[in-house]
Parts: sequence; C-alpha cells; structure tokens
Amino acid sequence: MRRKKLGLVGIVAGLAVVATLTVALTAGAGTQAGYKIYFLPKTTTIPVFTQNGIGAKLAAKSLGDTVTYNGPTTVSGTAQVPFINAAIQQGFNAIVISTSDPNAVAPALKRAAAKGIKVISYDGDTAPSSRVIFVAPTSNSLIGASQVESIGKQIGYKGQIAILSATPTSPNQNTWIKFMKATLKLPKYKNMQLVTTVYGNDDPTDSAKATQGLIQAYPDLKGIIAPTTVGIQAAAQELQQEGKCGTIKLTGLGLPNDMRKYVKAGCAGAFALWNESDLGYLATQVAHNVLTGKLTGAIGQSFVAGKLGKRTVVVSDGNKPVVVLGPPLVFTPQNIDKYHF
Amino acid sequence: MSQAARRLLARWESILVLAIIGAGIWSTTLSPFFLKRGNLLDLVTPYVFIGLMAFGLTFVVIAGEIDISVVSMLAVSVVCFAQIFDAGVNVWLAGLAALAVATALGLGNGVLVGLLNLPSLAITLGTLAAYGGLAFVVLGGEGVASFPNGYTQIGGGYLWRNQLPVALLVLLGFALLLGLLLHATRFGRYVFTIGSNREAARFSGVPVARIRVSVFALSGLMAGIGGVVYVGYFGSARADAGTGSLLDVVTAVVLGGVDIFGGAGSMLGVLLALILVAELRNGMQLANIAGETQDIVIGALLLAAIVAGNLLRAAQADGALSGRLRPRRREVVEHEAADSALPPSLET
Repeated sequence: MRRKKLGLVGIVAGLAVVATLTVALTAGAGTQAGYKIYFLPKTTTIPVFTQNGIGAKLAAKSLGDTVTYNGPTTVSGTAQVPFINAAIQQGFNAIVISTSDPNAVAPALKRAAAKGIKVISYDGDTAPSSRVIFVAPTSNSLIGASQVESIGKQIGYKGQIAILSATPTSPNQNTWIKFMKATLKLPKYKNMQLVTTVYGNDDPTDSAKATQGLIQAYPDLKGIIAPTTVGIQAAAQELQQEGKCGTIKLTGLGLPNDMRKYVKAGCAGAFALWNESDLGYLATQVAHNVLTGKLTGAIGQSFVAGKLGKRTVVVSDGNKPVVVLGPPLVFTPQNIDKYHF
Repeated sequence: MSQAARRLLARWESILVLAIIGAGIWSTTLSPFFLKRGNLLDLVTPYVFIGLMAFGLTFVVIAGEIDISVVSMLAVSVVCFAQIFDAGVNVWLAGLAALAVATALGLGNGVLVGLLNLPSLAITLGTLAAYGGLAFVVLGGEGVASFPNGYTQIGGGYLWRNQLPVALLVLLGFALLLGLLLHATRFGRYVFTIGSNREAARFSGVPVARIRVSVFALSGLMAGIGGVVYVGYFGSARADAGTGSLLDVVTAVVLGGVDIFGGAGSMLGVLLALILVAELRNGMQLANIAGETQDIVIGALLLAAIVAGNLLRAAQADGALSGRLRPRRREVVEHEAADSALPPSLET
C-alpha cells in the first residue's frame, strides 16, 4: 500500500518535470563564427527591450557576429547577476547590458572583465568602472527639456503638472527628472508648478493606481509627464477611463504601437522616444568595434556604425565615454502612423 | 528492500537529492559548461541572501505561521547598514547595528502575532508594506556603493584557486547552525510542538507565547543577516533591495518539504531545495533558455512539490486515505473557538 502511494508521488512529479522540460527544450543556443555577444536587457518582459534585441541581431548579422538575447523577468539588478555569471561561464566575447541597479551588477561585470570579456552598457548605465563605453539613447538634458516643453505647449505654459516615473531608484528616470526640474526654473515655465512625482514601478496596475491617485489628490492638475513606456500607456488608459483626456494633458516617453489609439483619441497630445531597434543596433556595433580594438573608450575616437553612419565617442551629461544615438523622436497625431514599433 | 532503506527513500530530503542529481544530468545535456568546477561552486552564490531569509522563515512556518515581511526587513537591514556606515562607523559595527534593527522589526511582528494573537498573514502583509516604506524613508531613492573593498571582497570573494565563494560558506555555516537549533535543541522541539498542535503544546507546559515571539525575531535576524551578506556580495545598498525575491524565499521553504500547515520540516530540506532551484536556473541560463520559460519550470516544480509532498505525508501518516488534506490547523482553530467559549476545565 505504502509503496503504491510512493509510486504515485513519483509519477506526478515525473509528469510535471517531463512536461516542463518539453517546453524548455524548444528554446536553444546558437554557436557560430565571429564574436559571441551576450545581450542582457533590464528584463525580457517589456517590449522596448525586445526591440533592442531585434536591432542587436540585425547588427550582428551584418557584422558576422552572433547575439544571444536573454534576461530576467523582473526589473532587478540582482536578478541580472546569474545571467552575467552564465555569460562568463559560456565564454562570451562581450556583454551588452542595460541595468536598473548600476552598482549591484558591477562586481559581476568586473569578474567578466577580468576574464577578458568586454562590457558595454546601454540605456540604463552601470557603474562607469565596470564598462568600457556607455551607449546613450539621447542626451539626458535634451530629454528633460523636451518633455517639459511638450507638456508646457499642451497646457499653455500654465498650471499644475506631475511626474509619473518608474521606480524611485531608476538612474535614468532620476536623471531625466533632475533635468526636467532644471528646465522648469527657466522664465518661460515660471507659471507651471511641479506638484509631485509618483512611482508606478514600471507595472501597468501600479502605474494606473498612481495616475488615479494624482487625479484625486490634485483636482487642478493640468498635465502629467510619464517618462516611461509602461507608465504613459497606463496613464493614458486611466485618463480615458476617467474621462479626463480633455482636462489633463499627457506627455512622456512611449512606444508608438502602445500609444497610437490614445493619441488618436486625444488622450496624449505628443510623446517622444528614440528608435529602440536602432539603439540595440548601435550598442552591438559599439561592442563589435571594441572587440576589434578600434574603440578603447578614449574620447574623440570615431567609427562607422553600419546603417547609422559615423559616430564619435564623446562626453555627454558629464558622463564618459559615451556614444549617443541622437535627439529624441517626437510622435504627434500627424506623424505617428509612420512608426511601427 | 530493507525497512531502513525504504524509510530513507521515503524521506523528502532523499527525493530532493535525487531531483538535484536528475537536474544535474539534464543541465549537462543542455550545456557543456554546466559541469565546470567554477560553475558548480558558483551557481548558488547569487541566491545566498534568499537562502538566509528562507532559513529564518522555516522556523516561522514550522511553528504554524507565515512571515512575508522578510524581504522588507532585508531592505531595512541593507539601508541601515549603508546609512550607519556612511556616517563614519566601522563597517563591522554598522553590520551589527543593522542586525539589531532587523531583529527588532522581527520582534515587532512577533509581539503582534505571538502576544496579541493576531493572524500572521495579515500582520506581515502589513509590515511588508510598512517596513518596505521605512527602507525608503531611511535611504530615499539614492544608492550607496562606497563600501570598503575589504568588506566586499569578503562578501563577493573567492577562496581556494579563486573558485570557492565565501558567500557559499556563509550559507552552509548558517544551515548547519540553524539545523542544530531546529533539530537538536529544546527550542527547536518546542517550535515543532507548537506547529503540530498549539493547544496541546500549551497544556504540556511549552512557553507558547515566548517561542512564537522568538521565531519571528529569529526570522528578522536572518533577514538582517541576509541584508548584510547582500551588501557584501552585490556591493550595493538601495531601498528596493530584495524586491521580487519573496517568491523564491517561499519556494525554497515549501519545496524544502516544510509543511505549510506547520509542525513538520527540516533545515536540510530547505537547503537542498535552494540548491535545486539555483541549479535548474543555472542550467537553463547556460543554455540561454528564456527567463519566462525558466519561471514556468520553477513554478511547475513548486506545484509538483506541493502535490507530491501532500501525497507523501498522507502515505506516511497512514495507508488508509490517499491524498487527504490534513485538517490539523483547522482542528486547532476549532479548539481555540471552543476554548474561548467554555471554561478551561471543560477542555478535553
């Protein structure tokens, strides 16, 4: 009797394992000629990173390299560390990483560098001592200024505004907010008051709740800046549900595919972003050129980044060495149908 | 098969060992890098702070309660460590101070649950949010990373041909220490007794309230130690440290064979479960299997463990009823209800 029970236990456990293995084994690894580049986004569960990965693979294809794209399912620097360790063990030539915790990934990246692996950061920078070059989507000061101008233009440069950010510890979010606050001090924006900054943790539900909180707490609120693709979409949806699209204006950083219907419904007057696929493409081009020895991180070095043309290593926003993709791309009801990502 | 051998096979820990071997074989077929010594020694390291929280939680769950505020207590420990160190205090003293703070937070849970008899799920859900907020109050949105090299080299360092991680030794050391505390002391026996039947424990003269307060304080202390080790390994202190790791902590405890109704479990089981999860994730990461697929595998493993564990315990309890959910906790609750309605002399 007892043995029969144990047999049943074994069968149940066995079935579960077999079922999951079948799912797991459908994914596979590739090993080809050229450089092996490990592309590690903050998380694989947000569409912009998928776009980065698509661009990275495009660049690798034209360069004869291979890109392996993988990462954690939560936005967490510590969750990226096992992936960095896996890249080290597999002997990749370079790691291209965007992180939400610049310090937590630094020791693991330094271990990688000690084994001769070249580390390139992009989008969310790591501690500068743990990477060769940072690939920035655009200049942070430009983002800060353009976001304030975009909301100012929509509300006639007058009234209360609020910021809906991702997490309170996200370095790029905090840098952009810092530049937004600096921009708001200019005489042109003197009649605009930033009442609060709230956090939606890059989570649709949290972001919607944060937006709802803003609507209730600030009856005179005129505009929201949401410099996060998750946040702006949740905010637009919330404004639409609450019937506030006319009274509270919205801008931020968003994906055209996410925002198309809200822009057309008048729930977001304008928003910006960069071409995420091009960003992944550029980061991979930089990694390749570091591996060939053409780039060492010295300021002023230049190279041809495939279809994007010539790029130079510069100092940007006091950060160095940096390669910049370009100015923010602004989407409006007039041009949004030209973009599909 | 001899009686002793059969009993050994029926033990949950034996099943975990077999699963670890099986997962090892699978990982070897997935990736040629899995069996490298450096990889095998290092695969648990990023999860050590999760293991330390799980060890503390084990006592709480065996005592028949739950503590989901561990991740927030870890965050508070991390930020207090950083702030006190930043103020110019010696790094080791700062670490001790952080442990004291975390233990005090655990004690807070313990008083609310153990003395005031409030439900632990509700209480620690509240403190999960409150302590998490406290971490942000202490450090704000900033990060601290200026820890002395001497400290981070210990936390994130390697011995013996530069391959044996210090953090792994810390994990094994605490597993041994807490294993002894749980299985070889009167305190440990009391924890099991309370988890099995709180009323019976009380009538047997077990200091129920004191032990229940103690397990929560211990859970706080272990989360604090987890925080200090976290800073050593990652070299980073932020208010959101440990966010998202609650699922892994609970997985280690449940997969480790600890009865979610209390009264049964072992420290060895929790350690083996942590190793199994780390090994599976490592194998899949080396094969570059997508993070989402990894989550599905780990989630399925957890479900399989709960189902299998339940069947196993039913089989062990008696051969008569298969797959019966044990109503033990419910009995205790009913006894308590009866207890409050009737004078103690009528209690049987």
